[in-house]
Amino acid sequence: MMIMSAVDSTFFTLNEAGTVIWQAADGRTPLSEIVARHICKEFDVTPEEAQQDAEQFVSQLSEHGILRVSDQPIADAAPAPAQTA
Amino acid sequence: MTIGIGGTAIAIQTDSPEFHRLLIERYAGFVARNQPHDVELEVELFEPDDAGSDDDLQVRLHDEEWLIQRGDFHARWNASTGRGLVRQPPSPYAIDSVLRIVHSLILAKRGGFLLHGASAIRFGSAFLFAGVSGAGKTTIARLAPPDATLLTDEISYVIREQGEYYACGTPFAGELARVGENLSAPIKTVFLLEKGPDNRIEGVSEAEAVRLLLRNILFFADDGELVNRVFRSACEFANQVPVRRLIFVPDERVWNIIG
Repeated sequence: MMIMSAVDSTFFTLNEAGTVIWQAADGRTPLSEIVARHICKEFDVTPEEAQQDAEQFVSQLSEHGILRVSDQPIADAAPAPAQTA
Repeated sequence: MTIGIGGTAIAIQTDSPEFHRLLIERYAGFVARNQPHDVELEVELFEPDDAGSDDDLQVRLHDEEWLIQRGDFHARWNASTGRGLVRQPPSPYAIDSVLRIVHSLILAKRGGFLLHGASAIRFGSAFLFAGVSGAGKTTIARLAPPDATLLTDEISYVIREQGEYYACGTPFAGELARVGENLSAPIKTVFLLEKGPDNRIEGVSEAEAVRLLLRNILFFADDGELVNRVFRSACEFANQVPVRRLIFVPDERVWNIIG
């Protein structure tokens, strides 16, 4: 999947695991739950490794304004400020 | 002013001298002088409210006009007449997105496409570098030796002319923030990037090449016919142009095996 930032129009091409996280990121489900429910089941990876990679991935998207990272559910859990291409 | 990319000239009309100056600076090297344009876009600027809008990008055909809209802009473009109208804030990113989308629509009908990746000319041939974000597109571009000419570090422009594929420079810059050179060359190889413990090139099956190319092709329109065309273009491209996997250590020695 490719996403385009509405902030500066840059593109991000996601791998399979990144696509799964992007699609599951609804503003309410914790990242650890997304990793446990989707990544660990669908990919050959240890939970620790998956969690570490997932945190790095969302951190990168967050730096580009693509995803918001929060330690609590986001009240206006609208789609993130980016578009699928 | 007119911006020429890949042989397609798009004239942009604006009443704002500031916006005009911004465009001249941003697209320097691609400003086409004394060249008839293929597309004419009139830009109407507005000041966005503080709240902005997160509306997703939509590109669809309606009554022979392409409607291209996102939270921060609204555009309509008639492919038959070449004329269009863009309403946007005075930001370079909105017009940049509109240009990319219009080019993707034009290329789709001509057997070409935009590829999310870097490209460079070396020894008279063009090499493309694609991959998922983090695979090393910017790194490869940054490590390019002096005898390589960077066409883009972000969006590769692929055209088909008389059965041959060429890569053209684009002003669409990525993290390097470097505008590409306005040149073109026949494409010799597409490399799918992957960082690894050593530098080596591996073969990729044609089916895998098509699958990976499609993952990196920029196409936005909700239009079955054009989607089919892009799919066919990717298949024809992979049949004709070598697509390889480039596993590399991120230092300048990787360029010893490119050329």
